[in-house]
Amino acid sequence: MLKKLAFTTALTFAAFTLQAQAQEPRRGGTIRFTAPYGASFVSNDSHVSNQIQDEIYGYALHGMLYKWDAKNGKPVLDIAESVQVSADGKTYTYKLRDNALFHNGRKLTSDDVIWSYTRIMDGSKNYPGARYVARIAGATDVQKGQAKEISGLKKIDDSSFSMTLTDKADPGYFLFQAQTAILPAKEAQAAGFFDKPIGLGPFKFVEHVPGSRMAFERWDKYYLTGKPYADKLVISPMGEAAARDVAFRNKEVDVSILGSTQYVAYKADPNLSKGILEVAEVFTRNMGMNPTFKPFSDKRVRQAINHAIDSELIIKRLVRDKAYRASSWLPLSSPAFDKDAKPYAFDPEKAKKLLAEAGYPDGFEFEWTATPNESWGVPIVEATIPMLAKVGIKVKVKPVETSALGGVVVGGDFQAYIWSNTSGPDTLTALKCFHSSTPRSSCNYTTFKNPAYDKLIDDASNEADATKQLDLLKKANALLQEEAPVWFFNYNKAVLAYQPWLHGLQPNSTELALQRYEELWVDTTSPAAK
Amino acid sequence: MKFRANLWIGATCFALVVAGGVFAPWLAHTDPVMDANLMNAEVPPGSEFWFGTDAQGRDIYSRVLHGARISLTVGIVSQLINTCIGVALGLSAAYWGGWWDDFVNGLTNMMLAIPSLIFALAIMAILQPGLTSLLIALGLTNWSFTCRLTRAATLSVKQLGYVEAARSLGYGTFRIMFTQILPNIAGPIIVIGTLGMGGAVLAEASLSFLGLGIRPPFPSWGSMLSDARDQISTAPWISIFPGLAIFLTVLGLNLLGDGLRDILDPHSQTRKA
Amino acid sequence: MLPYVFRRLLQAIPILLAVAALIFVLFSVIPGNFATSQMADGRSNIDAATIARMNEQFGLNDPLPLRFAKYVGGLATFDLGDSFRTRQPVINLIGERLWPSLQLALAAMAFAIVIGVPLGFLAALKPGGWLDMLSMVFAVSGLSLPMFWLGLLLMYAFALTLNWFPSFGYGDGDPRYIVLPAIALGVSPLALLARTARAAVLEVMHADFVRTARAKGASAYRVMRWHVARNALVIVLTTLGLQFGSVLGQAVVVEKLFAWPGLGSLLVDSVTWRDIPAVQGCILTIVLFFLVVNIAVDVLCAVVDPRIKYS
Repeated sequence: MLKKLAFTTALTFAAFTLQAQAQEPRRGGTIRFTAPYGASFVSNDSHVSNQIQDEIYGYALHGMLYKWDAKNGKPVLDIAESVQVSADGKTYTYKLRDNALFHNGRKLTSDDVIWSYTRIMDGSKNYPGARYVARIAGATDVQKGQAKEISGLKKIDDSSFSMTLTDKADPGYFLFQAQTAILPAKEAQAAGFFDKPIGLGPFKFVEHVPGSRMAFERWDKYYLTGKPYADKLVISPMGEAAARDVAFRNKEVDVSILGSTQYVAYKADPNLSKGILEVAEVFTRNMGMNPTFKPFSDKRVRQAINHAIDSELIIKRLVRDKAYRASSWLPLSSPAFDKDAKPYAFDPEKAKKLLAEAGYPDGFEFEWTATPNESWGVPIVEATIPMLAKVGIKVKVKPVETSALGGVVVGGDFQAYIWSNTSGPDTLTALKCFHSSTPRSSCNYTTFKNPAYDKLIDDASNEADATKQLDLLKKANALLQEEAPVWFFNYNKAVLAYQPWLHGLQPNSTELALQRYEELWVDTTSPAAK
Repeated sequence: MKFRANLWIGATCFALVVAGGVFAPWLAHTDPVMDANLMNAEVPPGSEFWFGTDAQGRDIYSRVLHGARISLTVGIVSQLINTCIGVALGLSAAYWGGWWDDFVNGLTNMMLAIPSLIFALAIMAILQPGLTSLLIALGLTNWSFTCRLTRAATLSVKQLGYVEAARSLGYGTFRIMFTQILPNIAGPIIVIGTLGMGGAVLAEASLSFLGLGIRPPFPSWGSMLSDARDQISTAPWISIFPGLAIFLTVLGLNLLGDGLRDILDPHSQTRKA
Repeated sequence: MLPYVFRRLLQAIPILLAVAALIFVLFSVIPGNFATSQMADGRSNIDAATIARMNEQFGLNDPLPLRFAKYVGGLATFDLGDSFRTRQPVINLIGERLWPSLQLALAAMAFAIVIGVPLGFLAALKPGGWLDMLSMVFAVSGLSLPMFWLGLLLMYAFALTLNWFPSFGYGDGDPRYIVLPAIALGVSPLALLARTARAAVLEVMHADFVRTARAKGASAYRVMRWHVARNALVIVLTTLGLQFGSVLGQAVVVEKLFAWPGLGSLLVDSVTWRDIPAVQGCILTIVLFFLVVNIAVDVLCAVVDPRIKYS
């Protein structure tokens, strides 16, 4: 019930934004955006980084084959105007837009797309986007140096090409990120191109002061007529939440991603509370348990952990409702999310019983690897310690740096870890992470292995009928809850605070900090309205 | 000898803090780790929770007391290691000179020049977080300042009459170093040493901030402070009290250091006038 | 004097090499590497094959002595290698960041000198007096606040409440932008300067030559001005030189907080992503600056105090 209510609230906020958009957008002014994830922008080359921080500027500068339609929660074509899918669902034929121009005024051709994807597959460079482009047939041959061209990419004429995938999939789900940006083939090979890069995006690059800001101006010949609205766009990387808070309250920036502390403060403030956009993101916060650690190999122990921790209370008091209680792996926005599924109840007695059945009547001790992150790190672990102690489980915290967590988990060097993992937007991709054929290094971090689960996923992969596929995925998700490879903690509720003069924000559930800048506009009340 | 206000105020502050740490188990109201009750999260200071509670609902008063144990250990032990290394190297380098002096100089310059936080960070990452690692990381990375100062002071004192006199009297090297030179240069070393203790407590905060400090959930002032930085405007008491504890300690150490300096300075009697 | 400077510069080379070696060893045994650090956000899985390829690409599989030899070979031709993270030459990355970094360091040191040194001298005039106590409390307050805290407090007070300065950003030469970060960074050297200046003045006050001067009937003012100031200045200058290096290094936190485009934030990002060439480059640059500044300080000391002679 509570969850439903929360979900409705999110929708209400989204509706509020839509309403705001009903006004006539104003042209001009400067949008002052913040990139909240710590590090400075890696470089001016979107292909070299897979970090959200760099996607944030990439959305201004570049066009991709697809873009994420936040309102409908699915990918749509970006630089292409139409696509035809072959009967086997593997070959896609695209017709590029006539009016997509690079920032030097040159028209986009299919050579640019093919060159960009081929560049990403350069085996000597290991660009992170290779992980997505590799799903095009023949791409890995280029990576291995066995071919010069990606055999699955065929130019038909200047404005159309075909793309053949290795298996049946919707490329929209993996070719919409800025790490797969389309660069101008000829220009990008010139020396010094990345000093002042050009792309197909709504904004032209002006300057990058590394560590401080990236500035853009409107691209007048953007393919969407009349867009973008703002004259200028400045994006500043600001990782420290408290510093962002000051800059936002001081009206120096137009948006700020809020942590749970500020979420409460902003909601309580009569003015600030008017500019809050909430969305249920596709991230599942969880404690992964390593089955090679003996107690965790027993399903009952894992269930006991889920029963022993009062997740509801932690979400309410510590996370301050900036999250939705997780029942299983799939988040609220997933079509396969089961609204009627009940999360593990807080029940220490049952937990004790399960532990006793599993042979641990006196509990046990385990080492819990955690980063300092406030939403999925040490502060959460600290709150669970007394709860687990009540059922006899002792926790030894093993702190790690945020950047080292991935290495620790992939290396299997843990008994338990707490993390926030992507669980969307594509449901099948998300659930495949628990398939036994997925190695730990890909995303099966808990080396989950369950034949019944594998079968459900295999069947779903081969199912052509969407409704039946969804049904299978729902079953898989329910089985996951029963097996409890992790402690299902919560799904992130992303919260973005925005100034009253900023309009056109989109409730992007893949990542709220990623906005389509061409939709944003500022009215005359902005200090930077001129 | 006149009444030295700084010495006594400093000693009192420091003694208070040390006593708080030593008697923490008896003075604290609750267990600093296990008594996390989320129903009591972020309660402002009052009669039940003297210093209020933190985001996990733990009593800050109890955590500050227990934190004194860890923070003081970190501050004192690591700075003691630093001072010993620094004085030994600086004194011997200045006294003996030659290749040893060149070597120590090179080593000191290297250590001074490397940002110590980054050095400590690397050591912590390798050794894994924990108290012992912290002592090693902070104890090995901050001696260079003391060493430079000791060396410079020794050089200037070495030429003075009383050292020459001691040498001509046939005093041994170590006797001259420790009885003639060291007491005469102890002032700045003590000042740097006491400041360094505060520095070590703060360095621990920075390392906690980066996820490589003390092993949570055990409290240290630095980690309490860095954990509470997002609540600086909404629940300021979470950071004020560990902050005050650090302030009191650092102030006490400094006043104490100054008082000691005045006593150790053999010329200080002249100041009676 | 010139041969001395030359000799000191030559001495800097083994120091730089030793630093390079130390960082090399530290970052080769530290847990995590560039490839795995990219997964930190929980959405970017990198499979084992890619990790292996990346380690191969960046030469991380080579034995350590070989890697180090290659690196030193590059250093000889001023080639600091390419950054793992940005794929650009490290020297370019540093070039972009150097000037803002120096600006901030100089502003912070200027702040520290202008307030710290007079404070120390004043405190030493009457040791144990109220001015002494006050300056002590002031200095200690500066030292007992972690820098991120001080920075935040400054932001709340001077940007948000009083609206005197912008809360973040570089501002292209607009001097208002540098004020808050410079204060946040300068408070710790200020405290140290004030304290060392006080100690140095007291030390010199009791030296024989000052007592002689006093006995000769020189006024307290003259004694202060000439003998004490000159001698104390040497110690203060030395402290300054030593602090300069740590200010460059400590700028890490302040730069992050205020979105200041300096070396410090590059260094921290590089450590976070285990971008070894960039870490090396940043640290070597900071070390080089430190060494040069300290040679300059030593020369200055000799100018101020002719009794100091270098052979």
